[in-house]
Amino acid sequence: MLVGNSKFEEAITIAKKGSHCGMCRFDFLDTGLCPSGTKYGYLAYWPQGRMQIFKNVMSGKVKPTEKLIEITDSCSLCGICDKQCNFATQLRPEKVAKALKEYVESLNDSDFQNIPEDENLKGLRDIVGPQWATNDPIIVSSYISSIISPDAGLNFYIVMPKDTEELSKVIKYANIHNLPFLPRSGGTLLSMAAPTVLSKAFGLEQGIVIDLLRMKKLEIDTETLTATVGAGITAFDLQKEAHKHKLRANVAEAGAHICGNIASTGILSTWGNKYGWAADNFIDLESVDDEGNISRHSDLEIKNPYSTEYGFTNISLTPPLIVTQATVRLNPVFDDEEAVFVPFENIKDALHLSFTVAKRGIGFSNVILSRKYLAEFISPTPKIAEDFEFILEKYMKLNYVVDIICNKDEKKIIENMVEYTIDKSTLTALILGCPKLATLKNSEFMKILSEEKDPLKALFAGPMKKHFEQALDATPENISKIYDKDLQEFFKKVYSKPKMTDIVWLHEHRIFPSRLMRQRMFLPMGGVIWTAYENNLLEWINMFETVGEKHQLIHALGFISPFDQGRFAVLEYDFYYDHNDANAKKCVDKAILESQENSLMIDGILSALNFYFKGLYRKEHILFPIAKAISKEDQELFRELLNNIIGDE
Amino acid sequence: MVKFLSEEWLEQCKRYMHEKLDPEKDLKNVTTSLLGVVEHIPPENSTMNFYLNIDNGKLTDFTVSSGDSYEKEAEFVIMGSYGTFRGILKGETNMTIALLKNRLKLQGNKIKALRLMKPLDGVIASLREVTDEFEE
Repeated sequence: MLVGNSKFEEAITIAKKGSHCGMCRFDFLDTGLCPSGTKYGYLAYWPQGRMQIFKNVMSGKVKPTEKLIEITDSCSLCGICDKQCNFATQLRPEKVAKALKEYVESLNDSDFQNIPEDENLKGLRDIVGPQWATNDPIIVSSYISSIISPDAGLNFYIVMPKDTEELSKVIKYANIHNLPFLPRSGGTLLSMAAPTVLSKAFGLEQGIVIDLLRMKKLEIDTETLTATVGAGITAFDLQKEAHKHKLRANVAEAGAHICGNIASTGILSTWGNKYGWAADNFIDLESVDDEGNISRHSDLEIKNPYSTEYGFTNISLTPPLIVTQATVRLNPVFDDEEAVFVPFENIKDALHLSFTVAKRGIGFSNVILSRKYLAEFISPTPKIAEDFEFILEKYMKLNYVVDIICNKDEKKIIENMVEYTIDKSTLTALILGCPKLATLKNSEFMKILSEEKDPLKALFAGPMKKHFEQALDATPENISKIYDKDLQEFFKKVYSKPKMTDIVWLHEHRIFPSRLMRQRMFLPMGGVIWTAYENNLLEWINMFETVGEKHQLIHALGFISPFDQGRFAVLEYDFYYDHNDANAKKCVDKAILESQENSLMIDGILSALNFYFKGLYRKEHILFPIAKAISKEDQELFRELLNNIIGDE
Repeated sequence: MVKFLSEEWLEQCKRYMHEKLDPEKDLKNVTTSLLGVVEHIPPENSTMNFYLNIDNGKLTDFTVSSGDSYEKEAEFVIMGSYGTFRGILKGETNMTIALLKNRLKLQGNKIKALRLMKPLDGVIASLREVTDEFEE
């Protein structure tokens, strides 16, 4: 009876577009947090979980249980989720929450299934307490797509231990009862892989999902410049706290959980050239191994925890340890830090500047952003991002930006190395004025600009700069107009905050990258390359382009960021796709297989699949010696290995 | 059909492999030895191991013993829980994925082991054919 109801249909569309970015689980807009999620913990009680549940009940994947009543009743329709989600993805999860309430109200008693407590659940509840272990299919189903493969059944337990000791007992219990298990933190890596062939490789087919969200310890030590964080702490939580003490952590995107991130890719950020990667980032770890043994990296008795297997067969699909607590390094924030943005038309010039600066040890954060990333990050809607990118490419001839955060003296050095930069006032104008910029797509101004010999110079250092900034009409009020009417006042206040145009703050807190996952999915490929192999780097980018074109995907370079004094660079190349489109998924599957294999055929590269779950180790063990292109014979083996992981087509 | 790791299981596996597996076609004439250590066996949470030796594609030795110490030295040792081996033998779990997910731990040359995965598929298929009873 609810089918055909337009509000309902709209809710289904919203729920399907949800991409599990996790931005509703930490307070990045000073709205406070979803009260229901905060109280009950399980993903099912957070906006992203409700969207997944709605999708599941509507598709018939799961039948209602009485827990669904608690889940809907616990939502007060306070609207926090709409504000958070709209900033990142432009979705309105509250409409889904309302539809879910309506759906539950329409049910009869006979519509609910009853799932009794079984022996395993009883055993797990004895460890963590009755509230923190469940086999309820509705709650289980909220974890689909972010750790449970969409193709798997619902034969799972969800367990939320409060600390390392409880986790250890859960694992020991799992082993004795032969139940597979997998930890979950933010779940972003798994959600990016979930719709693709990689879901079988990364996900859990049955058993125990260990949700680590309750481990919320967060302590800053201003004497040792360290922070101790539990596995439930996100990058944003840590950075916000560190910032209060004029300190900064090296973190991944805002929603990444620090401990999970350390155990998966390692903390890989644009700040890596100064602050390091992998084991550089932490002082000590507390962890639990797959037998339930607790250890600390500082224990003298443990075997070397920093070395790892080298070579193309080193693929790991799960973390070697579950990190429950990490003591990470913090770094001082200086008053004179600024951003330098240098625009480029071609990649070679951008690489030269970025790597030269990195090798000279200049700057804190150093990255080459593609025009795609620049447009996606800054633009508040996908349409504005599309038009923004078009303008960057066609009229401005701005394809790359070397984006460096440095101190005042270093800024002068960089400015002396280049002809012009994009200054602070223009950057502010671009952030607040991007909706207006998008409207200039076919304007006379842009046509005149494109006829300039060097449009970038004319725009950022010439007489057009002032007119350009004025034309953008960049105010918090104007950017807020692109939002739904009821959210405009809120976003006017958000964009009025100085931090929303403070490039250094934005680089530290990384709230923009989630926009890459708005309403559709992307799969990041790439890896690490030795910068001495610059021609190979260009060949590598071309390879991804060719593969993307061949499989008819939207594809683009994301970023290149040097680290270890410019010895290496991490490169991300993205394939974008609609995660609800089965054909698009098949194209991504083929692109993954092909680009992974091709990456190993080029000297000097460690592909993404080869550094997943290597973040606990020393980068020197991961990256040295220089990887050489594999032989034909090894290529065959790798292909077989990939087909085993990913499945023969 | 018999119970995994029982004497009957061992005998039937041997017979099946001798009768049904072609040394060249199925086992690619490989020469290797493998010790499988099965941990967390219900209901006592015990450990057992099985050892097999293949010479030029022919099974020359196949034994099962209990405990976590073993007399025979093998080119490869794979250790995993009873649940993992059960999943492999039921065809629910892919052996390579189990290895990469760290559910099976390998001692020995990994590249060589991965090259053996295809020939070993034949052995796994044999074990699957004769095994249908597990501890739950």
